[in-house]
Amino acid sequence: MSSRALRWAVPAVVALLVAVLPLVIADRFLIKVFTFVGLNVIVAVGLGLLFGYAGQVSLGHAAFVGMGAYTSAYLTARLDWPWIVAFALSGAVAGLGGLVLAIPSLRLRGHYLAMATLGFGELMSLVFTEADPITGGVDGFTGIPFPSIMGFELRQPAGLYWLVWGVAAIAILVAANMVNFGPGRAMRSVHGSELGAVASGVDVTGVKVRVFVISATFAGLSGALYASVVGFISPSVFTLQSSVAYLAMAVIGGTASLAGPAVAATLLTLLEYTDALVPGLSRSAAQTIQEYQPDLYGLAIILVVLFAPGGLAALWRRRARGGESG
Amino acid sequence: MEALAQFIVAGLKSGAIYALLALGFTIVYASTGAINFAQGEFFMLGGVIGVWLLSLGMPIPLAVLGAIVLTAAIGVVFEILAVRPIEGGDPLRIIMVTIGGSVLLRQLALHAFGPDELTFPAFTRGPSIRLLGAAIERQTVWIWGLTLLAVLALAAMYRYTGFGKAMRATSIRSEAARLVGIDAAGMVTASFGLSAALGAMAGLVVAPLTQTAFNVGSAIGLKGFAAAILGGLGNPVAAVGGGLILGVLESLTAGYIDPLYKDAVALVVLLLVLFIRPQGLFGGAAREKV
Amino acid sequence: MTLLAVQGLTKRFGGLTAVDNVSFEVFEGTIKALIGPNGAGKSTVFNLLTGFERPDTGAVRFEDRDVTATRPRNLVGQGMARTFQNTQLFDEMTARENVMVGAQARQRTSFLVASLHLPPARSEQREAAEAASHLLRLVGIERWADTEAADLPAGIRRLLEIARALATGPKLALLDEPAAGLNATETRALAQTLYRIRDMGTTVLIVEHDMGLVMEVSDEILVLDRGCKIAEGPPRLIQKDPAVIAAYLGGEEVAADV
Repeated sequence: MSSRALRWAVPAVVALLVAVLPLVIADRFLIKVFTFVGLNVIVAVGLGLLFGYAGQVSLGHAAFVGMGAYTSAYLTARLDWPWIVAFALSGAVAGLGGLVLAIPSLRLRGHYLAMATLGFGELMSLVFTEADPITGGVDGFTGIPFPSIMGFELRQPAGLYWLVWGVAAIAILVAANMVNFGPGRAMRSVHGSELGAVASGVDVTGVKVRVFVISATFAGLSGALYASVVGFISPSVFTLQSSVAYLAMAVIGGTASLAGPAVAATLLTLLEYTDALVPGLSRSAAQTIQEYQPDLYGLAIILVVLFAPGGLAALWRRRARGGESG
Repeated sequence: MEALAQFIVAGLKSGAIYALLALGFTIVYASTGAINFAQGEFFMLGGVIGVWLLSLGMPIPLAVLGAIVLTAAIGVVFEILAVRPIEGGDPLRIIMVTIGGSVLLRQLALHAFGPDELTFPAFTRGPSIRLLGAAIERQTVWIWGLTLLAVLALAAMYRYTGFGKAMRATSIRSEAARLVGIDAAGMVTASFGLSAALGAMAGLVVAPLTQTAFNVGSAIGLKGFAAAILGGLGNPVAAVGGGLILGVLESLTAGYIDPLYKDAVALVVLLLVLFIRPQGLFGGAAREKV
Repeated sequence: MTLLAVQGLTKRFGGLTAVDNVSFEVFEGTIKALIGPNGAGKSTVFNLLTGFERPDTGAVRFEDRDVTATRPRNLVGQGMARTFQNTQLFDEMTARENVMVGAQARQRTSFLVASLHLPPARSEQREAAEAASHLLRLVGIERWADTEAADLPAGIRRLLEIARALATGPKLALLDEPAAGLNATETRALAQTLYRIRDMGTTVLIVEHDMGLVMEVSDEILVLDRGCKIAEGPPRLIQKDPAVIAAYLGGEEVAADV
């Protein structure tokens, strides 16, 4: 009884805290940092479905974020399309990219997907850099308008924050529904034993392709939001390093969990902005932390895979079980 | 005609490098069933460690040898620390560990040797050699010579030494190998050491032509993998073939279409092969699992 | 009535003929056992019937439809379910969730319907959960329902896999060594479970080494040796069949030599 109440109470309290945050903090930059947290949570939750539920590795999610960002930027800044249409199309374009990549590589065993996504990510990096007329090349894409919904333009940090977290909330809800029903079990069965899944009538390839497309769509939507929140994008944002960071969020967050990747995304993103969070921190200390951030991703992936394959989620699941019996 | 000869020479030059990396992928894949995402970092380490050893005052041959040995040692240590503890040798977890390892090795190189491009001098000085109208730099001859040497040595090792035979047996079935008393874990360690040495050699021998830096690993790793899969993953001869073909394709694209597309060739080849013929050009019919 | 008809099934691996021109039938509402010494080709026959391997020659007809080399998942849809010699459970899922995956085989909840929390998703969820509870009771492991599969003892894992196979609603259940890892009491309980499965209207084909169990539950036995069918008939006749005795004695001699 109390554990059931807890299942609702914890997300409700977290949602409330997230919602009121811009009202209690005055620092505009800090609000922006938490907006970035929201953007990464969207990607991490999608990757959580792919890695944590279906057991597939992607090293190219930054490319999907980039596809969404450039699509939205081009449609809103160059073609003057309504923001909401551009936003939806950005998700669709990234999802389509995911589909094109997933269908052939998911017929094969897991490691091919990892390599294919890595190759795809590098290819998209080249496209972002070289397709000057559309992407603005190395100099990037400037002058992306703020999001506007039905004629109302969001330009205040708090408004943008709520928009991003609103999308994140919907993404989490949609993902949570999926994993709580048949599709979630199908994903986990594919991860557990492909032979067993086939023998249980699960459409293994179909499940993998669907999850991949969904996670690519989430990434694309996050990218579209990023473009209009920041107003400027360049190829240096959507690199292999970002893909590794996303993967680290999913791996550290853990398997069969959405909260895990979301929490990991929050922690890793905040770590990037320690200077904004810790007032007295010296510039050089903050810089050192940033310099060593990729080291942390690499080391964390290795340590989690070796010593805690289920990630944070498995650790607190075990703790919850121990608590019940003891 | 002269242009074509020059393009082919250039293609076979980078192709030989890809072949060495493809061999590295093949060796680790054979012993673990997993792709080593850190393969490109071994290439990088060879170059930057070589430059460092030179800066300590070592002569070129000693620096080359030292860098290869040190990189191989790093490969071995990495395997013992991060790959061996994975019980059952689950390929997915091995892949994850090598992804983490590649990031870590790149960062360590950055912290140790800095972000700048580093230069390694040509192994031997002298004018280019002219052959069939193409100018061939001396270093290119070194590339071909060392690649050929590596391939022959590897072939001889597989064929004649107990170690090589054991390695082949392990690659066929590690469980079966364990049953007949082959130390499968030792073979995996050896395969990481060997592929690290090959990667380092490739990184060193090409460094005089291209310069090197902490971040050259991932791009070249991807090309090496494209070469391996173009030939057919798991087959050393096919890996070399794949490397040379990829190199020539790249060079012809750069020469006749647009140098802009040079780097895209490997990526497109990689994706196309995965889509159309995942068993590679020289592989038998791939049996899809289930 | 004939549920499954196998005609001239042959499978070679390299130079080895694992299954050599095997023909047999399984009648609806019966329990049939497939036995033979190690390496007789029993598991290969299972793989061929369930689409996990393709035969070189021969045909498999299920309910009078040609299903030779049909993909495994489609065979599940047509009413053929199996278990594996090495259990293929979803280790990080509870026993109940494992069975629910099987129950979903007949359901249509799409990613879209689920993501929007629509009524069909909820009702199918309930149905799958009820089916799982029922089947866990049927195989007698309901008290393990909320344990993760990884934490289950080997014998319970086998029973769980049977429950998962039954959840797909098969007309024919192919069970690969269901009694392996069970003690004597559990094996007796398994016999009762097999009868219950048959009485539910599911025809059963088992591969099994436990001769006591095979002789007790089978309506018919098919004996393979080195890929060839050497005998077929009711248990009483098989027990006395000279070819069968020779095959098994020969097998034991070989075993004794090693």
